[in-house]
Amino acid sequence: MAEFLSHVLIAYTVFTVVSWRVEWLTKQWVAIGMIGSLLPDLSRIGLFVTDVTIETTLGVPFSIGAIHTLGGLMLFAAIGSLVVADHRRRAFALLLAGGFSHLLADGLKIWADGAASTWLYPLSWYRHPTPGWYVSSDPRVLAVVGSVTLIVAVVDRRLIVD
Amino acid sequence: MRTGLRVAVGLLLLVGVFGLCIHYGATYDTNWPHPTGEQLATDYDEYVDDRVLLIGEVQSTDPVDETLTIEITDDADEVAAEIEIHDTTAAVEPGGTVQAYGRLHSDETMTTSEIVVVNHGLTESQYKLAVSVVGILLAIGYFLTHWQLDLQQLTFSRRSTTTTGDHNG
Repeated sequence: MAEFLSHVLIAYTVFTVVSWRVEWLTKQWVAIGMIGSLLPDLSRIGLFVTDVTIETTLGVPFSIGAIHTLGGLMLFAAIGSLVVADHRRRAFALLLAGGFSHLLADGLKIWADGAASTWLYPLSWYRHPTPGWYVSSDPRVLAVVGSVTLIVAVVDRRLIVD
Repeated sequence: MRTGLRVAVGLLLLVGVFGLCIHYGATYDTNWPHPTGEQLATDYDEYVDDRVLLIGEVQSTDPVDETLTIEITDDADEVAAEIEIHDTTAAVEPGGTVQAYGRLHSDETMTTSEIVVVNHGLTESQYKLAVSVVGILLAIGYFLTHWQLDLQQLTFSRRSTTTTGDHNG
């Protein structure tokens, strides 16, 4: 994964640009999309509880890595949409789209064997070829994403709102 | 949707998450084309002479001999194998993380065709952690600027003050 900040800024940027054309996509729904961009990394719970601990407790195989896939994202987007007061389908779609932007960005990372993670699960175990654009700890990722975000935020504030 | 029904659906979806993690855990080893830490620990010889991808923390480096040693862990974060990688000039310190892709040998060494340095050292891990915390705070802060918690309904509702000022809302 890239770090969380880049994922959040990518979501903000994409949804803000889309909001220039889509009337109902207000700042409030952009915020929902930003929260969605964090959902795949709920798998980081694994930093605090290992798979083996849960396997021992449940007595079955277990991998928290499933959360960092399309399937995990769908389920958490559905859970997230339940805590929104209204327009739950819209909330679900934005949480899903935010999380999808996260998985897509991760799909561009460098892997030594040239193929991405199994993020398409449960639809497929296919590991698509990755262009290998970056490693997650490279600060240039944040520099590029942050610069684009800044431009979009300025345009949004100066040209669109005013 | 009534609160009780929402809680029930939410619990059902959480059960679904558990089910997904169980299925993923049960089928991952057969679908991942490379050995996991557990497989290396229990069945190392099975992978000798195979081209494998290993991800591990760097334990030591020797720039003169152009080798580095990485530690592969299992799902319990216990050390499953220590692999020495030859003929590498990768710029990485102990505590860093690398992906190594290449041929595995019987003496727990590896000849790599590709090494990716994920973290050069502990500093980069700390950078990722710090920046990630900022990302989480930014997302939550932005969200709470536009949404408020209704404790009685157990829902978040849109703040009315932001609706009127929005260009398109």
